[in-house]
Amino acid sequence: MWKRLLLIRGAELFAFGMLVAIPVFVNNSYALGLLTLLAIYGILLIGLDVSVGYLGQVNLGHAAFLGLGAYASGLCVTLLGFGMPAALGVSLLVGLVIGALLALPALRLEGPQFALATLSFSALTVTTLNEWESLTGGAQGLQLDRPALLGVHLGAAGFYWLCMILLALVWMLMRNLLSSHWGRAFEALRDSPIATDAMGVGTYRFKVAAFAIGSALGSFAGGLYAFNFQYLQPHSFVYELMVILLLGVVLGGRKSLWGAVVGAALIVLLPNLLSNRMLFQVFSALGLLLAVVAGVRGMMNKSTRPFQAIAPIVAMGSLVVGGMLVANTEDWRKAIFALMLFSVVVGLPEGLMGFITRFLSQLFSVAPPPLPAPAALDEVLAARPMQDKPLLELRNLKRYFGGVKAVDDVSMAVHSGHIHGLIGPNGSGKSTAVNVISGLYAPTGGQVLLHGKALPEGSLYQVARVGIARTFQNLQLFGELSALDNVMVALKGVYRCPLPLLLLGFARREEKRAQAQSLALLELVGLAQQARSKAKDLTYGAQRFLEIARALACKPDLLILDEPAAGLAQPDVAQLIAIIKRIHQRGITIILIEHHMDVVSELCDRVTVLDGGKVIAEGSAEEVKRHPLVIQAYLGVEHTE
Amino acid sequence: MSVIVQLVVSGALMGMVYALIAYGFQLTYSTSKSINFGQGELVMLSAFVSLSLINTGLPYWLVVPGGLLFGVLLGLFVERAAVRLALEQKGEGWILLTVIFGLLGFSAAENIWGRDDRPFPTPVPSDPMHFFGIGITPLEISVAIGVLAVMGMVELFKRKTLLGKAFEAVSADRDAAGLMGVSATRIIMLSYGLSGLVAAMAGILVAPITTVGPTMASALILKAFSVAVVAGLDSGFGVVVVGLFLGALESLASFYIGSGWREAPGLILLIMALALRPNGVFGKASIRKV
Repeated sequence: MWKRLLLIRGAELFAFGMLVAIPVFVNNSYALGLLTLLAIYGILLIGLDVSVGYLGQVNLGHAAFLGLGAYASGLCVTLLGFGMPAALGVSLLVGLVIGALLALPALRLEGPQFALATLSFSALTVTTLNEWESLTGGAQGLQLDRPALLGVHLGAAGFYWLCMILLALVWMLMRNLLSSHWGRAFEALRDSPIATDAMGVGTYRFKVAAFAIGSALGSFAGGLYAFNFQYLQPHSFVYELMVILLLGVVLGGRKSLWGAVVGAALIVLLPNLLSNRMLFQVFSALGLLLAVVAGVRGMMNKSTRPFQAIAPIVAMGSLVVGGMLVANTEDWRKAIFALMLFSVVVGLPEGLMGFITRFLSQLFSVAPPPLPAPAALDEVLAARPMQDKPLLELRNLKRYFGGVKAVDDVSMAVHSGHIHGLIGPNGSGKSTAVNVISGLYAPTGGQVLLHGKALPEGSLYQVARVGIARTFQNLQLFGELSALDNVMVALKGVYRCPLPLLLLGFARREEKRAQAQSLALLELVGLAQQARSKAKDLTYGAQRFLEIARALACKPDLLILDEPAAGLAQPDVAQLIAIIKRIHQRGITIILIEHHMDVVSELCDRVTVLDGGKVIAEGSAEEVKRHPLVIQAYLGVEHTE
Repeated sequence: MSVIVQLVVSGALMGMVYALIAYGFQLTYSTSKSINFGQGELVMLSAFVSLSLINTGLPYWLVVPGGLLFGVLLGLFVERAAVRLALEQKGEGWILLTVIFGLLGFSAAENIWGRDDRPFPTPVPSDPMHFFGIGITPLEISVAIGVLAVMGMVELFKRKTLLGKAFEAVSADRDAAGLMGVSATRIIMLSYGLSGLVAAMAGILVAPITTVGPTMASALILKAFSVAVVAGLDSGFGVVVVGLFLGALESLASFYIGSGWREAPGLILLIMALALRPNGVFGKASIRKV
């Protein structure tokens, strides 16, 4: 525990102290300028890392937010005579609001569409800054003086210390945010938006929030940028800067505060690197060496494809050779960025900090912080009284896809505290029925009632909020998160700390409680020992059980299990049956879609059989097994001419 | 009134070029769900190579195939260097990698051919002919004909040849096509080659009008993105309609609001389309499956 604190916090404090102390000993205005830019870019890249690292989206609009923030602060000072705190506040707000507005349409978009939306936004921003001459001065640029901070006029060193303090502040706030349930939700979104919705976490809220926060940091950095250079031009914020920023984040290492600041240091130093021939050659040779070492190591332990090993060597090699051939490396600036970024993206996808962290963690093994003892199951899933009345009712439910009547006029009732089986041949409409109930599809007609009230239609998120949780036939785990985090993402009723307090680090207690509760659920499905393993590294059976634990974390009234035994080996099936029985004992109602008749017979109080989208039989497992229509549906009829 | 018609007609003819570049996005998107973010540089580099070919004294009818061949090769290079790995890893790394390719291409052009814009000679005359009081240059007509000819040929190829059928099969279902013995990797290569061909054609067609320079395609490409997204990334007919529309719209905007705002309508349309109809006006909505 102490070792952990000492090493991790100690390294942070040491780095911060070193950086802050430099101006005391070195009196060099050029170096000071670079350090100031480092602090500003550090804040900027921490913001960019939220969307690029945590949300996993290629964001091409961050340079535009830097520009918007810079102009916002600049105009506040020149036109309105604001002081520094107020101007920076305006910059932050501009980023937050415009970021949220841009995220609203970009919200439903993934991958290329998101990149395109942000790309157009940044082009539009530069156009506007350029053309709105009456306000921004257009291509002429905007001149401003650094305003006073609370009556004090800051010199170069003073401004540098201000930027460093702000960087440290942003670092701490973001660490608190990203290690809370917010950070987990951002990452969950990246792995499976559908599951995030189905767990009642709400992709909507978190994606907008993540993007807005990242953009706000971007434009906040923009305000500092304006006060640092005291001269702004629209063309400083174009595409090329965007690529450099991406280079910083990727080279430094994604999903890491250290990575963002290391990346910032690198991109601040880049221009100097290019102007000094000697330095450039040394640096590119080092890059080539790194590419060769990483490539050979990767090939030796067969963790990389040949392309991943060879391509960076070729790229860095052409950098070395090209550096000797061309007359002026400055002219080839963009190509050099491109080749470096290419090598990092292909050959070192976890970035420098990822590389170094792996190396350091071999040197100093720091145990992860200990987990609390699991909570009592009664605290997590309070036992519900059994009451023999309908919990869920389907009334004439219909769902058509074009001419296909996947669910055609289905009525059924699921009684509270029952395990209700839903069976039928492939294509009979079981999964579609469940998808309509859980809100993935809106019904074409008919009604779904929970506790006698109509369910929200066509929204996974809202259905999850009223107490229905589900698992997926094709697993939808958050693969990059640990088993524990998978459950903690979905956990309900624990996270109450308001955002401002959470940012200041007051959410530690509820975090412990969430861990304890989630561990109890993992214990229920027999995965307590694997709490720290990444979900994608678990065995197939364990992944199925983890989905059940995650669904239980929603503390549902009704749990829908969509073919939980599909693909399980026999011992796992036995364990599955035991798990479902334990859940049933807590009084949770369960709908079980299953093909294994032995599982259905053993567990289900009542069984509904679908065929061709219609209910063909209902009753106890024994009754439906003997039903002639059911036998006909599964085995067909003999044709007698 | 005739001013408006004139603006609409010449804008729309320009829009055909956006449509052609957007069509190049569709070709690769249909097979691999990826597009080349450096496509604009591909257009520009092909135009530069064609210009160099003209300067060597090659006749025009040999320059065109030469430029197209270069486009195909560059398209194949993009696929190999920037796209294939990311697709194998089922990730979206290709976005960043193709952006990088674009930057590299831009820098290369800047240094090899210089930063200045240069005229691109063409055998087609550029004196306007008048129809009902509207001036249209043969050059503009040649652009429209060239665009439709290339798109028509690629569509014919897709529909009438066995390889084209394989292309359609991979577009419909990559895994199923793989099981039937169609190599998805090859078809994706083919789609990038075709996309490069289409981009090179766009470069050669538009170069006499815009002149050739490293930045010739940076505005062009944003509008092609808009056209592709607004039309939907799977509708060949849609890109032509939207291309015509956007071309006319921006020509009006630049006349009535100011030429600096030329790009604005396309960008706003793109963001609106993404917000309201992410699958495009002519695109098919997809059903979420779990």
